Amino acid sequence: MTTSTEQSLAGAAPDGAASAAATRGLNKTYGTGDTRVHALKDVDAGFDAGKFTAIMGPSGSGKSTLMHCLAGLDTADSGNIWIGGTEITGLSDSQLTKLRRERVGFVFQAFNLVPTLTAEQNITLPISLANGTVDKDWFSYVTKTLGLTDRLAHRPHELSGGQQQRVAVARALLTRPDVVFGDEPTGNLDSKVGAEVLSLLRRSCQEMGQSIIMVTHDPVAASYADRVVLMNDGALVGELDRPDTDTILAALAKLGA
Amino acid sequence: MLQVALAQLRQHVRRFIAVGLAVVMAVGFLTATLMVNASTEASLGNSIGATFRNADLVVSEGQDKQLDGSALDAVTGAAGVGEVYAHRQASIAFGSAAGASYGALQNTAPAGLENLELLDGALPGDGEVAVDAGTAEKQGLSVGDKLELAPPAGMVAAEDVAAAGTALMVSGIVKPSKDPFMMVQPQLFATDALQQQLAGADNSWLRNIQFDLAAGADTAAVKDTVTAALADAGFPEASVNTAADQTKEVVASLTGGADQLTIVLLAFALVALLVSALVVANTFSVLIAQRTRELALLRCIGADRGQIRQSVLAEAVLVGISASVVGVLGAVGLMAGIITVLQGQPDTEFATLAVPPYAVIIGLVVGILMTVLAALAPARAATRVAPLAALRPADEARAGNSKGKVRLAVGLALAVGGAVVLALGAVSADLLIALPGGMLSFIGLLMCATLFIPPLVTAVGTLAKPAGVPGKLAAVNAVRNPGRTSATATALLIGVTLVAMMMTGAQTARTAFDGQLGAEYPVDLSVGDLTSAGRPLDASAAATAVNYDGVAAAGLVTNGGYAEVHGSRTGVYQLAPEQLALLQDKTLVLDGNTVLMPQGSELKKLTVTGSKGSKELTVVEADSWTLPPLISSAVAAEIGVPELPAADSEDYYSSLPQLWVSVDRDLDSWALLDLRSQLAAGLEVNEYQISGAAVERAAFNQVIDVLLLVVTGLLAVAVLIALVGVANTLSLSVLERTQESSLLRALGLTKSQLRSMLALEAVLIAGVAALIGAVLGAVYGWLGAQSALGAFATVVPDVPWLQLLAVLAVAVVAGLLASVMPARRAARLSPVEGLATV
Ligand SMILES: Nc1ncnc2c1ncn2[C@@H]1O[C@H](COP(=O)(O)OP(=O)(O)OP(=O)(O)O)[C@@H](O)[C@H]1O
Ligand SMILES: [Mg+2]
Repeated sequence: MTTSTEQSLAGAAPDGAASAAATRGLNKTYGTGDTRVHALKDVDAGFDAGKFTAIMGPSGSGKSTLMHCLAGLDTADSGNIWIGGTEITGLSDSQLTKLRRERVGFVFQAFNLVPTLTAEQNITLPISLANGTVDKDWFSYVTKTLGLTDRLAHRPHELSGGQQQRVAVARALLTRPDVVFGDEPTGNLDSKVGAEVLSLLRRSCQEMGQSIIMVTHDPVAASYADRVVLMNDGALVGELDRPDTDTILAALAKLGA
Repeated sequence: MLQVALAQLRQHVRRFIAVGLAVVMAVGFLTATLMVNASTEASLGNSIGATFRNADLVVSEGQDKQLDGSALDAVTGAAGVGEVYAHRQASIAFGSAAGASYGALQNTAPAGLENLELLDGALPGDGEVAVDAGTAEKQGLSVGDKLELAPPAGMVAAEDVAAAGTALMVSGIVKPSKDPFMMVQPQLFATDALQQQLAGADNSWLRNIQFDLAAGADTAAVKDTVTAALADAGFPEASVNTAADQTKEVVASLTGGADQLTIVLLAFALVALLVSALVVANTFSVLIAQRTRELALLRCIGADRGQIRQSVLAEAVLVGISASVVGVLGAVGLMAGIITVLQGQPDTEFATLAVPPYAVIIGLVVGILMTVLAALAPARAATRVAPLAALRPADEARAGNSKGKVRLAVGLALAVGGAVVLALGAVSADLLIALPGGMLSFIGLLMCATLFIPPLVTAVGTLAKPAGVPGKLAAVNAVRNPGRTSATATALLIGVTLVAMMMTGAQTARTAFDGQLGAEYPVDLSVGDLTSAGRPLDASAAATAVNYDGVAAAGLVTNGGYAEVHGSRTGVYQLAPEQLALLQDKTLVLDGNTVLMPQGSELKKLTVTGSKGSKELTVVEADSWTLPPLISSAVAAEIGVPELPAADSEDYYSSLPQLWVSVDRDLDSWALLDLRSQLAAGLEVNEYQISGAAVERAAFNQVIDVLLLVVTGLLAVAVLIALVGVANTLSLSVLERTQESSLLRALGLTKSQLRSMLALEAVLIAGVAALIGAVLGAVYGWLGAQSALGAFATVVPDVPWLQLLAVLAVAVVAGLLASVMPARRAARLSPVEGLATV
């Protein structure tokens, strides 16, 4: 419930080992000359393993950029990144791809599923890509928990938006990744279904010890998290522990968002 | 709405270039084809016109009678005729230090009508001769050299010519005549008097009579006068034409064949156009499908259906115009290049490029029309986009519409009906029935391609399973838009079917022909009669022959007696037991009581007489029609082997030994023709004296090989266009699936997996199209061969597996290549970029 200090951030700064994901001195710019945007400015951040962390901040503050870099979807200009204790800075494209397959899970805002594959095939896709074998028990546990058992043979266009997001969550959880990333995973859902998906994420964190990093604009969504990290103008500007909606709103108001 | 169309074109230049490429290739092919004919005519006109370019009027012979001296007299005597040149040409033997040869001796013309172009020296006077540059070079002649000319007689040997000939001096070297009738032979020129003196009796024929008008005479009047004079002199059908008309007439008589060539080429151009239309239609459909939202938005803000249709058609017109212009320019460039190369060759120096306006206009009009017609269906689809679609997410599943059902029904009816007619044609061995049947059934099959192509792609796609996720996804993606996949595959299917049909037809015809040859010729090669030196062949010839590579065995077959066959005395040959193997038909046997006779001898018994006695033998008929009567050498010895009769005896030619040769079975046609030349040289005989099944087979195979090569080359254009279609469809699909590709990349699909996924998709579509094409082509090829040849040969289907496999391999590799560009684009996309374009 304390507002952030520079120390607390620095304290969480990475040696890499204890965190699900961490960055040090991360910089990223887009474009050149007049259109140059410094999207990330010397970002040092640590995300604890087994915790549900939300990233918040005004639009254009660099949340998505940070998440993409953390997840190995994009490369930073300088700085270091760790995922589950492994430094991923400077890995080749195919090494990053392999890492995403095995150690990272994703839930995007939209277009989460491959339209030609059934829900089940979508869920097991990362494992198939790694030529791995699906842990049957884990699969049925995850799909049952998410209430997908009788939707597995359906294709994405036969599922509702909430069901599609749940399939994406199941896919993200199935590999037991070091960390699950979500970029506004509930952005397209109504509040009831959104709450459902968020509780699922919350439960997977509590019951399965899954680390989760979620970007969101919604204070209600962020209140499901253990910790909220605040960004403004490409830099980390504070954090909230065990936040509720009001503290989040207050903190955001301070940022002028 | 033109504004919208222009904006579309500007924004998606690359997509429209892809559409245009197919049009460019087809239009280029069509225009080049039309220019072939015009350029042939122009080239001939150029060369033929040169031979009477200085004459005002030209007399040429009619059907009834050749021109001769009395015609010349008639022309010379007519009013209004100025200088006259009667063009004479006679065969002549000439010899120099370099050797002797035959050539054509022509007379020079009076100064005003002369069309020879001097390269060196002067035109010939008395005791002089001019030769063409090519001959001068071959014979090492230059101005001032001596040349012996003699009337043609028998062998051309330098010493004979020198003995019988007249010595002349080479006065000049002239440019070879551009007259296509003259080009192949050495050309010599002498004064009119000398030409007539040297050429002797056989020189009365005049190729033509060229003349000038007398001062002040009127062309039409003189033409009438001369025509009348010729009619009086007994040449009613001789024609009198101006030089220009005469050129046209000769060219027309020569280019009958070129017209046919043009028609054949046009048929291939038509195939290319058809394939191109399919590709254009398909690419446009994909483009429209991808713009559904945008079109719906236009409808939302008030564009009506007509405006949408016009916008799409405007795009088609613009693409059609630019692609057709490029295609025509490309064709002109290509032809200009070919003509320039030909002009560099001495034999085709006269080649002339002709760009007839009709070729350009037809090329442009057909190109534009085809593009617009191909865009009609997609344009109609565009008008059906509901304004609401702008607000709906794109929906994957599409229901079949009623028009599709009509097409399927018509297609099925055509396919089945056509197949029945084709089968009828094959059974009755009538190509005229089979051809339309085959065409109809093929069109029908193409119309219902959506019925069998997607399921086949899915079935074959299971083969890609071992490739893991990329393989599975490729199989699914390949049939994601069944209509699109079918259209893409159909374009390729057409070309491949035609190629496979030609290959199978050729192979089947070859086999049928082989069977016929076995019946016609008793042996692979037989060498007959006398050597060039006039000697009969002897045992040394067999010894020489076996030494050549490719000769399996050789034996000299000699006279063993005589017999009366249907009243005429015939030589009977004897065959030693080991020589029996030289016969093509290995089932034939000869014993002490039999004589082998050709098919159709209609004899049961034959009495063969030797030097010591005669014997009645039982006739065994062979399959061959040309087998000489054969007895075993034992029988020949029993009745006494006759001496070879004297050269002036009636029996001489039917008693001359023959050399029989069997060749290695795997010898290809080129090697065989080469072997024939070597044998002819080694045995000192002329090539035409070596005949037999192997030679016929080689000659036939060579013709088939060349034809097949040409046809495959021409069809390759259609196949190439279809592959452009595969690449188009794939790259548009890649664009459409940007988000999906990014998602897959985010989830752990590597770049190379993404590339191989697209490659597999292309290979699946191309491979299945090629597979169906090969099967269809094999069936059509066999039925076609049966219909064409069934009446006079036993046709057994013979599938050229290796060639068909090669076609499949080419299609697969080409599919791979077609996927390279789209796959590279897809792989370049970073996972984040794709996700951003929501
Ligand atoms: N591909 C790009 N090219 C250029 N600039 C970019 C690109 N992606 C992001 N930016 C810029 O980088 C900055 C950070 O963008 P980012 O997407 O990380 O913001 P965000 O915090 O996720 O915003 P939002 O809440 O609106 O999603 C913005 O100013 C944005 O304009
Ligand atoms: Mg964002």
